[in-house]
Amino acid sequence: MSDTPSAYAHPEVLVSTDWLAAHLDEPNTRIVESNEDVLLYDTGHIPGAVHIDWREDLQDALVRDYISPEAFAQLCAKNGIGPDTTVLFYGDKSNWWATYALWAFRLFGHTKVKILDGGRDKWIKEGRPVTKEKPKYPATQYPVPAKRLDEEIRAFYDDALAQSQAKKPLIDVRSPGEFKGEVTHMPEYPQEGVLRGGHIPGAKSVPWKTAVKEDATFKSADELRKIYTEGCALAPDADIVAYCRIGERSSHTWFVLTYLLGYPNVRNYDGSWTEWGNKVRAPIERS
Amino acid sequence: MSKACPDHPDDPPVSTYPPKLAAIISLFESLPEEEKRENLIAYAEQAKKHEPKPGETFDLEDVRKDEECTDTVGVFLKLDAEQQAHFRVTLGPQVQTLTKAMTAILCKALDGLDLDSIMALPADFVPKIVGGHLVRIRSQTVYYILTRIKSACKVLLNRRRAAQG
Repeated sequence: MSDTPSAYAHPEVLVSTDWLAAHLDEPNTRIVESNEDVLLYDTGHIPGAVHIDWREDLQDALVRDYISPEAFAQLCAKNGIGPDTTVLFYGDKSNWWATYALWAFRLFGHTKVKILDGGRDKWIKEGRPVTKEKPKYPATQYPVPAKRLDEEIRAFYDDALAQSQAKKPLIDVRSPGEFKGEVTHMPEYPQEGVLRGGHIPGAKSVPWKTAVKEDATFKSADELRKIYTEGCALAPDADIVAYCRIGERSSHTWFVLTYLLGYPNVRNYDGSWTEWGNKVRAPIERS
Repeated sequence: MSKACPDHPDDPPVSTYPPKLAAIISLFESLPEEEKRENLIAYAEQAKKHEPKPGETFDLEDVRKDEECTDTVGVFLKLDAEQQAHFRVTLGPQVQTLTKAMTAILCKALDGLDLDSIMALPADFVPKIVGGHLVRIRSQTVYYILTRIKSACKVLLNRRRAAQG
């Protein structure tokens, strides 16, 4: 576990590389790798881990939306995940896509979730075992969720606009250059068709990276409180919306606010800047 | 040259590609998705073999980190006495697996071609190797190395034209 697990609001949601190395066969647990690099899992992964791709497996192939409850049940069933299985996510890029996948699982009401602190990079740097063997698990019967919990942890354009107009907390987790409108994508990443740069009026810039240490593990609860609770003046019951460019970096911040700091009302605006920056007449600030 | 066997009437036949590239395209087109991925991984693992060797000299060295890639990529181009191109490529540690695979594939497939042939090469062979599915879900990754290689060729062609007056 992390150095100061008791200080997090939900310390049980984080596991350390040491813990995982000793519990690879933990009963009723499924390890899931989710990456930006689409072939990374195939090059070698934590023994026993299955692969869930953020785009191929979690998003609808046609409409910009997530998969249906039926498709989610099928995804879980084929990966041997039951409704009571603890799903332990990890991935590249400081767990961006791992937290995104975790958030998507929460959309379907799957609450038994954990994150490997430090993600794939830390596991590899520590020289821990990896394998190319793709595990096969007996299919489960995962009940189709009654609905997707969009209204609880997901924000849409109208929600983000209302948040802005009501001057409620909006956290822009992109890089400072994106927030200022100097660029419309991450440094070193391809420009992917956003017509306007800037940020949602009233949003506060808190880049996702401020929540992690050099080794991609999360900062201590005290440090996180300083950054978010004090830095953004967040009340304990604050209604918070986080956004980035396509919703993956803001999933990381959503995870920090929800699980590590315990804010009960945090939503991820997954449409994020690729929707807002292209939307006709959407108000934009530059600073 | 390989036998022409386009999937679509508008696709150029495989036979229009240079022989080494055509052979790689034919191999990948014959593979099911799972084996296609395995072969891409195998190529990615060979990418380091295409780094410059100690003592090698080049006609062009282009090392940079730009928006289209997540880490530094260096393209090194040497023309032999017959004006045939030979490529070496360095890749930073954050470069994605697909980029590594395309590096090994292109260094092998384009080796020994002249600059004009490389410049004339259409990019439509990339989905034939990588597969339409991977192109659709990670479109920004797969064309980068080809673009950099063509960019290096263009610089040398421009130098040659300038020297010819």
